[in-house]
Amino acid sequence: MARISEVAVPVAPTEFEVLTRPDSGVLEAIPGAVYICDADGWVVRYNAEAEHLWGRKPTTGVSGDRFCGSYRLHRPDGTEMAHEDCPMAWAVRTGVSTRNAEVHIERPDGARIVAQVNIRALRGHNGQIEGAINCFQDITTQRELEGEVRRQRDDLDDFFENAAIPLHIVGRDGRIQRANKAELDLLGYAPDEYLGRHIAEFHADPPVIEDILARLGRGEKLERYPARLKAKDGSFRHVLITSSSRFENGKFINTRCFTTDVTQLREAELARRDSDARLAATYEAAPVGIIETDASGKLLRVNDALCKMLGRTREELLGMTFFDYTNAEDKAEEAALYGQQVEGEIDGYSLRKRAVRGDGRIVYVDVYSSTVPSPDGSFQYAVRVLQDVTEAKLAEDRLRESEKRMHDLLQALPAAVYTTDVEGRITFFNKAAAEMAGQEPDPGQKWCVTWRLYNTDGTYLPHDECPMAIALKEGRSVRGVEAIAERRDGTRVPFVPYPTPLRDAEGKMVGAINMLVDISERRKAEEYAERLAAIVEFSDDGIISKDVEGVIQTWNKGAERLFGYSVEEAVGKPIHMLVPSDRADEEPAILERIRRGEHIDHYETVRKRKDGTLIDVSLSISPLKDARGRVVGASKIARDVTERRKAEERRQLLVNELNHRVKNSLATVQSLAAQTFRGNDRDATFRRFEERLVALSRAHDALTRENWEGVGLRELVEKTVTPMSAHPWRVHIEGPRVRLRPKVALSLSLALHELCTNALKYGALSREEGTVSIAWQLVPTAPGKSSRIRLRWEESGGPKIKPPENKGFGSRLIEKALTHELGAKVELVFPPTGAVCTIETDIDQKETS
Amino acid sequence: MNAAFSRTGKLRILVVEDEALVAMHLEDTLHALGHEVVATASRLPEALEAARTATFDAAIIDVNLDGQHSYDVADVLNERRIPFAFATGYGAAGLQERFRNTPTLAKPFMSSDLERILAQALGAGRAD
Repeated sequence: MARISEVAVPVAPTEFEVLTRPDSGVLEAIPGAVYICDADGWVVRYNAEAEHLWGRKPTTGVSGDRFCGSYRLHRPDGTEMAHEDCPMAWAVRTGVSTRNAEVHIERPDGARIVAQVNIRALRGHNGQIEGAINCFQDITTQRELEGEVRRQRDDLDDFFENAAIPLHIVGRDGRIQRANKAELDLLGYAPDEYLGRHIAEFHADPPVIEDILARLGRGEKLERYPARLKAKDGSFRHVLITSSSRFENGKFINTRCFTTDVTQLREAELARRDSDARLAATYEAAPVGIIETDASGKLLRVNDALCKMLGRTREELLGMTFFDYTNAEDKAEEAALYGQQVEGEIDGYSLRKRAVRGDGRIVYVDVYSSTVPSPDGSFQYAVRVLQDVTEAKLAEDRLRESEKRMHDLLQALPAAVYTTDVEGRITFFNKAAAEMAGQEPDPGQKWCVTWRLYNTDGTYLPHDECPMAIALKEGRSVRGVEAIAERRDGTRVPFVPYPTPLRDAEGKMVGAINMLVDISERRKAEEYAERLAAIVEFSDDGIISKDVEGVIQTWNKGAERLFGYSVEEAVGKPIHMLVPSDRADEEPAILERIRRGEHIDHYETVRKRKDGTLIDVSLSISPLKDARGRVVGASKIARDVTERRKAEERRQLLVNELNHRVKNSLATVQSLAAQTFRGNDRDATFRRFEERLVALSRAHDALTRENWEGVGLRELVEKTVTPMSAHPWRVHIEGPRVRLRPKVALSLSLALHELCTNALKYGALSREEGTVSIAWQLVPTAPGKSSRIRLRWEESGGPKIKPPENKGFGSRLIEKALTHELGAKVELVFPPTGAVCTIETDIDQKETS
Repeated sequence: MNAAFSRTGKLRILVVEDEALVAMHLEDTLHALGHEVVATASRLPEALEAARTATFDAAIIDVNLDGQHSYDVADVLNERRIPFAFATGYGAAGLQERFRNTPTLAKPFMSSDLERILAQALGAGRAD
């Protein structure tokens, strides 16, 4: 069986192919300017928005516009950028993506727009670059507004921060110009105790404040710069100072300092620093992506593994929420779960989703999100662990797909096939399997689809010992075993199983597949062949096969007995060795007929035994053909007919002897009569007697020729009548083929003889022109009843006759003999035109009653 | 029987027949047809002797002489080129293969049958 992983998956079109398909409306559907270059950089497709932004219509294809459809390009600093140096050119050449880059496009009319471009290379199945896509948009207006917006926001921020966080502003001279309430509260001073004083007075560490002021004076920003401030009560406050200076027209105006009290935190922090460092190390070194997110999903902290996984920089990520890189289709589900987590309804969740990498690629990630609660138990932030499962997911998909295809294929197979998991539980079976088992397997059924199993010797075979069970338990294919399946209805099917373990890519057994081949037909054919072989072997007839050259191929016991040669002596020898020299030409003629494909039935001939004696045989010879119908030899059945022939000869001898005796007796009677009637009216009475005697004898002859099995009516009429009528044409004989049994034949023969004699003497045959018509037909009788004929003798053309005054022997013989002996109906009349005799009699009744 | 006489002329005939009454009837019939019976043999040695030595124009030979075939007699006659006919109860079908075409008189017979058979035998003999 094919391994599942070998089933092919058809190749999907590449992105490039999809996007550049001539009929594709994809580009027009995108709400932005888009164009695509091929691997050589030639612009191949662009949309109307792109044309609008460029202010021109580029030429597509080879020798048209390359890398960009614009008239000219400039960098943000105003320098010109050649088209072959533009980010699109880089994407095509190196596959490097560009995100949110700023480029200035010059239109043919000299107008410029600021464009934000996003470029991604389009790769084929093997990762080769097939082109690149550029999505760009006009951000000219945004850029202009930005400065204003930023200023306004700064002010708003100032205001907000003033209210919320300790803040002071220090002038050029280092004196505190402003401080908010939060600041004053922090240190415990009244405004007049604090404002107008030099900031250095409140710092515990002079070098620190010197450094701070020096940095700020240089225009540097301070971020959470640690310092100690002196409170009114004499204590020191540990603070972090975030500060920036404000310049106008290059002139230092003041510095704004945000002061964060970390006194308590710091102590805890010092204690935790060690473990924190360890944690951080672990955090960074973890092979899984780890993120901390706030309630909105904004990323607060990420590790290297995550940056790598998502193909984005730390900075980029820290400016995003995790929703930003979540595939659109997966956002809703995650948002719902995260919402529940933030609300405290759940402590965490896990899901599989698609994340969009910086380069636009999709990765499948398993996310495990859990809540880190604040001291009051509410949501503080979430720790999310991400694992890249793209490979596993694709492999799973492929496996699922190939399994489906495999199952489709197996379903279509005419052979019974089923699969099990490694525990032997049936996981799949096809229709043929259910048909063979006579049922669908029960849910959870193990080892085999069949109802019951038996060994070929008829003993019961438990399912957990069946070949499939062995294959699974021992992890090997099992071959060469036969078993018998029993269905619920009691029918049994002999079959050969082909259980084969299935293994995954690592070679671990994951289950097994089994094919059950129904061999009942084969078994029947084998039994038939065995029976046939036995018949041939023990046949009394000699059964021989020979090739087309007449060389003996097989030789049975019957042939051994018949011809005296053993198998060893006969096989491989020419068939001629059985042919007597005076019949040497027979075998080539037989072979010729066999080559033409003819059958030869009951060909009686003589063959020679090993000891030289001759035997009478009847040969039946049939051509042997190969699968293509070519004659490759002949089978020959030789039957010893010596005995039969001898019996026939003996019978013939007896018949001859009997005839001899009967005829000699009749001849003797004739002689006696001749002596007795010597000198009397020989020409009349004696001659009449002789004729009757001879007629009787001839009827005997006709029957003898047919071995007294009956005789044809036509032959009987011809033999009786024709010799007596000088001209055969004067007798007209007509009637269907009818066979008479001996007794009917003898009586009818004598009657016809009398009619004939009468016709010669007084009737139609006494004149040259007279004729006799003898015609008969079958009389319809009820089914199952004996056949009947009606025979009509009719004379015409003779002299006018009148009925005889006395009935002579002839008339009496006709009427009485037929009526008495056969139960026939006889009518003999003598109209003036000539005698008419009608005889109706059964012809195949065994005996008359 | 002038008609018969005119067809074959007066013939000297050897009769081989073991049944005395049948032989008598044959002789009578032959006489009636105008022929002369030169000898009548009823047993095989006697018949062979006559066949070899006697002088005659034709022979009528019973095939079965008290259980013995008379083909040897026929062979002698063939050698001597003397025409002959068989008389038999078998009919021609009962004869040995090589004598199938020999004229055969089926017993019992009419004198017209005998006349016809003799004419056939002589015709065959002359053609031989």
